[in-house]
Amino acid sequence: MQERLSEIQNQAKGDLAKAESLEEVETIKTRYLGRKGGVITEIIKAIPGLPPEQRSSIGKSANALKQEISKWIEDAKGTLAGKEQASDSKKMFDLSIPGEHKPYGHKHPLTQTIDDIKEIFKKLCFDIEYGPEVEHEYYNFDALNIPADHPSREDFDTFYLGNKRLLRSQTSTVQIRVMEKTKPPIRMIAPGKVFRPDTVDARHASMFHQIEGLMVDEGVSFSDLKYVLTLFAQSYFGQDIKMRFRPSFFPFTEPSAEIDISCSLCKGKGCSVCSQSGWVEVLGAGMVDPNVFDTVGYDSEKYTGFAFGIGVERLTMLKYGIDNIRLFFENDLRFLSQF
Amino acid sequence: MKISYNWLKDYCKYDLSVEGLAESLTNAGLVVDTVNPVEDDFCLEVEVTSNRPDCLGFIGVAREVATIVRGKLDIPDVGYDTTDENINDITSVAVEDNELCQRYTARIIKDVKIGPSPEWMQKKISSIGLRPVNNIVDITNYVLMESGQPLHAFDLDRLSEGRIVVRRAKKDETMEAIDGSKCVLADDMLVIADAQRPVAIAGVMGGKDTEVSDATRNILLESAFFDPRSVRRVSRKLSLMSDSSYRFERRVDPECVDWASRRATKMILDIAGGQAVEGVIDQNYLEDNKMNVSLKMSRLNSLLGLQIEKNAAKDILEHLQFKINSETEDGFSVDVPSFRGDVYREIDLIEEVARIHGYDKIPVKSSIGVKLTQDNRFDKITERTKNVISGLGFNEVVTDSIVGDSQERHGTIWSETGSLKILNPIRQDENLLRKALVHNLLRVKKHNQNYGVEKTDIYELSKVYLPQEDDQLPEEKECLCILGEDGYLALKGAIETMLSHLNIADSLESVHFDFGLFSSEKSAELRLGDRVLGFIGELSREVISDYDFRSKPCVAELDFNVLLDKTNLEDSYLKIPSLPIVSRDFAVVSDEKVTWAEIKGCIESLKIDYVDNIEFFDVYRGKQIEKGSKSIAFRVIFRADDKTLKSEEVDILQEKILTSLGNSLGVSLRA
Repeated sequence: MQERLSEIQNQAKGDLAKAESLEEVETIKTRYLGRKGGVITEIIKAIPGLPPEQRSSIGKSANALKQEISKWIEDAKGTLAGKEQASDSKKMFDLSIPGEHKPYGHKHPLTQTIDDIKEIFKKLCFDIEYGPEVEHEYYNFDALNIPADHPSREDFDTFYLGNKRLLRSQTSTVQIRVMEKTKPPIRMIAPGKVFRPDTVDARHASMFHQIEGLMVDEGVSFSDLKYVLTLFAQSYFGQDIKMRFRPSFFPFTEPSAEIDISCSLCKGKGCSVCSQSGWVEVLGAGMVDPNVFDTVGYDSEKYTGFAFGIGVERLTMLKYGIDNIRLFFENDLRFLSQF
Repeated sequence: MKISYNWLKDYCKYDLSVEGLAESLTNAGLVVDTVNPVEDDFCLEVEVTSNRPDCLGFIGVAREVATIVRGKLDIPDVGYDTTDENINDITSVAVEDNELCQRYTARIIKDVKIGPSPEWMQKKISSIGLRPVNNIVDITNYVLMESGQPLHAFDLDRLSEGRIVVRRAKKDETMEAIDGSKCVLADDMLVIADAQRPVAIAGVMGGKDTEVSDATRNILLESAFFDPRSVRRVSRKLSLMSDSSYRFERRVDPECVDWASRRATKMILDIAGGQAVEGVIDQNYLEDNKMNVSLKMSRLNSLLGLQIEKNAAKDILEHLQFKINSETEDGFSVDVPSFRGDVYREIDLIEEVARIHGYDKIPVKSSIGVKLTQDNRFDKITERTKNVISGLGFNEVVTDSIVGDSQERHGTIWSETGSLKILNPIRQDENLLRKALVHNLLRVKKHNQNYGVEKTDIYELSKVYLPQEDDQLPEEKECLCILGEDGYLALKGAIETMLSHLNIADSLESVHFDFGLFSSEKSAELRLGDRVLGFIGELSREVISDYDFRSKPCVAELDFNVLLDKTNLEDSYLKIPSLPIVSRDFAVVSDEKVTWAEIKGCIESLKIDYVDNIEFFDVYRGKQIEKGSKSIAFRVIFRADDKTLKSEEVDILQEKILTSLGNSLGVSLRA
């Protein structure tokens, strides 16, 4: 029996030396040490049937061999595992395969612009206000010092709904609504949709977004207006932006201004975006016209204020170099997912 | 309006390059849009705002330039010789409508020789894009461009009885205009007529019959002031626009009416020969009361945030031809020239000073202090909602509020009342204000599918417009619409995640709901407590084939106001349990009719303190499960705050749950 054991010892040694994979080692392990039918296991099981004088020595040898083979198996496993790991990473796993992606949802670029602008004005202590999109003519025109039948109404071409109702053509309506219910001081911005029956092209949409701003208090001056809008423009477009305030006309402000910034695309050298002028118009503004204060019952001798309007699409187009306003409303995911 | 760089120099000697001129005008409020070279000249396209009709002529623009450079304005001489014959012996003018015609002048020039205008004049008017016609027409155009005052020359011999009647048209009277269009007139339109018929539509366009032709010898020259609103209305109604109507509807200078007439008469005599008849017929002119406005320097400086000296302000206004008529220590008062109808208050004078002084000289500084801004709950909840929905992989879209009537072909959601109609839409088939968002999202899905984007997970948070009674403003309902491509339960899950992030305590209830847009099986009204949150469903087969969708999207449209009301912005913290939980998985068989909500409700109704959570796994039908039955798998998690639960304790609770499910719902443990 001892001979049988040493035979097994040699066989096992030989088998393990030939083994080339972890799988083969497992098979060898089963062959020798398996609970059912393992060569060593069977020998150990058979010990009780041996003559009593052999039982002890064979038992010892068999167990010693079991230990030994177990150790060899573990060693072989260790060696092969190291080898396999090394060859695995070389053969199997392609590091260049792209990662797996969870879906990522994007907020609409116009929402992002409005959020950015709100954030800036919140830092300047402006409240956020909202007003209705379907309005009475009164709020869109009369209260804003735009008389009926006046050519200036043409600048605000408007969709009408009958019974003196319309789709607001400007967010300035919110100025009036806020002043009607609040006493000065006021500092607010009002983002929202506006509508104009413009022929739709790359630069015009019949629905777009504006942000109206209003500040009213005692002693508010044109230099406050320049200060606030300069901080805004620097914050939004960058510190080295150049600004130009030039006189303009809006019925509800006096004096009125349009504000240009140096074209961010050509750095003021002239390109198609700025019509070769180096400047792009980004804001309309002015000191609130005393007639507007009279309409809402503010003392126009005591209070002064400024108002401004920002075109959201325009700012977004400038920021990203988008050349067609229609992209915002087509909602092509190949567009939206870039923001 | 178009300005010639060289021609402008006739009225003001300025030493500015064309770029310098463009910049100066722009900085003073006359934006120069483009500068185009024309032979040895430049044509500047100047944008004149509607409050400044005085700048719709070269002299007006020159006045601005003269003020900017503090130079002199040169106004041409209009003196000429006349014959002895008096105009009143030749013709007459009867103004029958004093309201619509506030001044009418006529002059007569006899024996003119019609021919081409001289080369220098042709060159000038060509430089601003006008087409030379003949000397008389070119002169009236020239003076129009120079002064901003429209003129019209009639062939005197073609006027019936050689006289003028300014009256309202008779209903259905007709006239052929110079441009060949046949106009049918109405009784609210002012016309210039002769003894018989209209010969011009006042302020808009002359008639073909009486226009100056090669055969013309005697001319009646009209220069007038017509009511701006009336000209505007008539010009719109007849769809006739002209350089004249453009100026009349912005209000011409009533004082310039006569000057322009003299100027043109003098040029006709110089260029086309002939003799001017003595005198002028000048009807109906009531000189305006001179507008007198005072200005306080303290007000000016505080409003602008500037320190301008009084003399500097006076100098600016005097260059703009305001006349100083009295002075105090802090200010002065001025007479406003008749061409500046836009100036009637102190603030208007302040603007004049500010824009010429230069907005760039106003300092960028402020002493405005800090202030606590108000919390805006709407904004906060909107932002949180969008963050959650976007975070779940949905893209926000913005769609048009104006839609076509096909929007409701699969049913209405929020209101049965007809949509609000736009009276003047751009497109007749898109003239309604939307009453729901879902149809717009389906269109977005369709657009994307057409461009090869197959998976369109999108949402919009925006307003719909629900009509109210009579002429009231509509209810502008804030709605949230979500379109998802991962099936009904994934969309419902997104909504549940959102509700949990908004800390909404009410549990979401789904009640079956028949709706044309949705499949009959997967279609529900969603409720939060006693409020209807909205609707969710898988699109019905009809809708999918109508839109030709290749996938089977699910849509939910929610009333955002319910979320606004129910959201709790106070986030709170729950202590993480330190003691281990015990969980037990159940697989039970029930009749098809039994719902998960009933099973969960049944367990909850036992009010077992140790039940921490009941988690749904799945529903299984098929092999081993009898027809008409289903297997539902779920897990119950048990937890005690004060001790570690023993297995035997949980065994008892598990048995209690199964017994109760068996008794009340006929649910049994799956074999």
